[in-house]
Amino acid sequence: MSTALRADPTEPQTKQGPEPAQRRFRLTFPATLMAPGVSLLALLSIIPFITLIVMSFSRVRLLGGLQLDWVGLDNWTRVLQDVDMWVSWWRTAVYLVGTLGLEMVLGVGIALLLHRVVRGRGLMLSLVLLPMFVAPVIVGLLGRYLTDSTFGLYSWALAKLGYEGDILGGSTSAMTAVILMDVWEWTPLIAMITLAGLSGVNPSVLEAASLDGAGYWSTLRHVVFPSITGILLVAFLIRAMDAVRYYDIITVTTNGGPADATKTVPIRLFETAFRFFDFGYAAAIGLMMLVVTIFISKGFVAVLQRKG
Amino acid sequence: MADTETHIRQKRSSQILVWFLIAVAMLWTLVPLAWMLAGSFKSSADVTASDPKFFFDPTMDNYRNLFSGPNDLTPYLWHSLVASTAAAVLSLVLGTLAGYGLSKSTMRRKNDLSFWVISTRMAPIAAVIVPLFLMFRVAGLIDTLPGLVLAYMTFNLPFAIWLMTAFFDDVPPSIEESALVAGCTRWQAFWYVVLPLTKAGLVTTGVLCLVFAWNDYAFATVFAGPSSQTLPIAASQLVTQTGIDWGQLTAIGTIVVLPMVFAGLAVRKWLVTGLTLGAVTGE
Repeated sequence: MSTALRADPTEPQTKQGPEPAQRRFRLTFPATLMAPGVSLLALLSIIPFITLIVMSFSRVRLLGGLQLDWVGLDNWTRVLQDVDMWVSWWRTAVYLVGTLGLEMVLGVGIALLLHRVVRGRGLMLSLVLLPMFVAPVIVGLLGRYLTDSTFGLYSWALAKLGYEGDILGGSTSAMTAVILMDVWEWTPLIAMITLAGLSGVNPSVLEAASLDGAGYWSTLRHVVFPSITGILLVAFLIRAMDAVRYYDIITVTTNGGPADATKTVPIRLFETAFRFFDFGYAAAIGLMMLVVTIFISKGFVAVLQRKG
Repeated sequence: MADTETHIRQKRSSQILVWFLIAVAMLWTLVPLAWMLAGSFKSSADVTASDPKFFFDPTMDNYRNLFSGPNDLTPYLWHSLVASTAAAVLSLVLGTLAGYGLSKSTMRRKNDLSFWVISTRMAPIAAVIVPLFLMFRVAGLIDTLPGLVLAYMTFNLPFAIWLMTAFFDDVPPSIEESALVAGCTRWQAFWYVVLPLTKAGLVTTGVLCLVFAWNDYAFATVFAGPSSQTLPIAASQLVTQTGIDWGQLTAIGTIVVLPMVFAGLAVRKWLVTGLTLGAVTGE
């Protein structure tokens, strides 16, 4: 019978069936709970991933019905030989070093400051955290408003200090501005995580250090920092992954300009796909980006496992 | 004596330095937000005055104009609300179930599964959008709210799975075991015993999913059309060739930001855990 493999619906079901039969017909309890979420995630992640790989070996045509023509390694040889592309990687590196470096230094600094405040620390932390909740696109637009050369508050203040010029119009100043906008939004995250780490440092160790006559800086260097390196690393890796992920701020401020000065890899990918409709080439760029984030997430998971 | 005196003086001057630096950090953090809020209440002449107006006659015109006239903001607000709430709720439900399963699972490839989940969450948006655009075109999901919800779930679902796993890992296994010994089924032990213990985790995960979806711009620029545009798109559409209505723009900005600030601060106690994906706990 064709129904031989299925449980007969007419058969009276015993509530607690014998173990072996259950194992043959049903998933384990954890697997049952995982099934819906993991299946949907597979649909939303593995299929796009395979599509991306196939696209990177194809020329994709959208007009008159979707069509993929196999072109072999064309897109890959192009992406590796494209000088503009390597310049974009370089700019991405500059952007990452700038944002991550400033955010780590300022975030740790703010955390150390707030850690010395006893009364009102909670309120102050809440205020410091506010930029984190602002949509990146609003951060970008607000940045444009503040740096506008005719009515921007920050341009006005800088003009008083002697700096004239269109901030988003010059290549160095535009890159600096988009970096600072990201720094404004995400330094609070580093500060918050670091403060959590600082609160976890054993106070009796600090007391012992101060009884030994250690000053603030040497306590910081020899006692505090060694005990929060793990947390700082987590903060750094989380930020690094997100810094590669998002490109909203650049899109709405300079969109890669002036003269490509802020054209980082995600901006170039987006324009390749949705302005030049060169989806195969965009897919190759996308896969290269994916490799970068997979390396960072490997690091993140490694840190977690060492901790756990 | 003199020694303690210099010590006290040093301490006081370092305290002054601390407060000075905190004041600088606060100014850097809060001025843009205050300026946005102020701008939303300025008349169109004041908002782009070449000498910044610190004192001005407040007006509600910008907010009024947003909700009347040809560019009514209401549909955008509605799309934003529906898409982000649906994406958050669905991710939370599926993520909680899967997170519990993953936390309790003893399968061999568990680490690989976790790594797949986290790398999906961290995948660059630009790299996700390109294949998804092709898939959505074939499936007819472009410019639909379900399409937008699915797009948001590409990052919210793995986030919810991963974070809820971390919260469930923190529940001592003995609690669940004693429930099982007392005669609960595994589902009952999960639903009545373990789940109530992770309330903070559920709220945090839900709120953060909501914030991520609500604040999205990149996915909406590609997948949303006239019948599904969200608030961040409305904001960027005010930027036109002919000029920008900064009064309205700062008003939209305020509308986008305020609810998320309240939502985010409501879960501040667990934000560290949430935003480090469970890697760091507590304050």
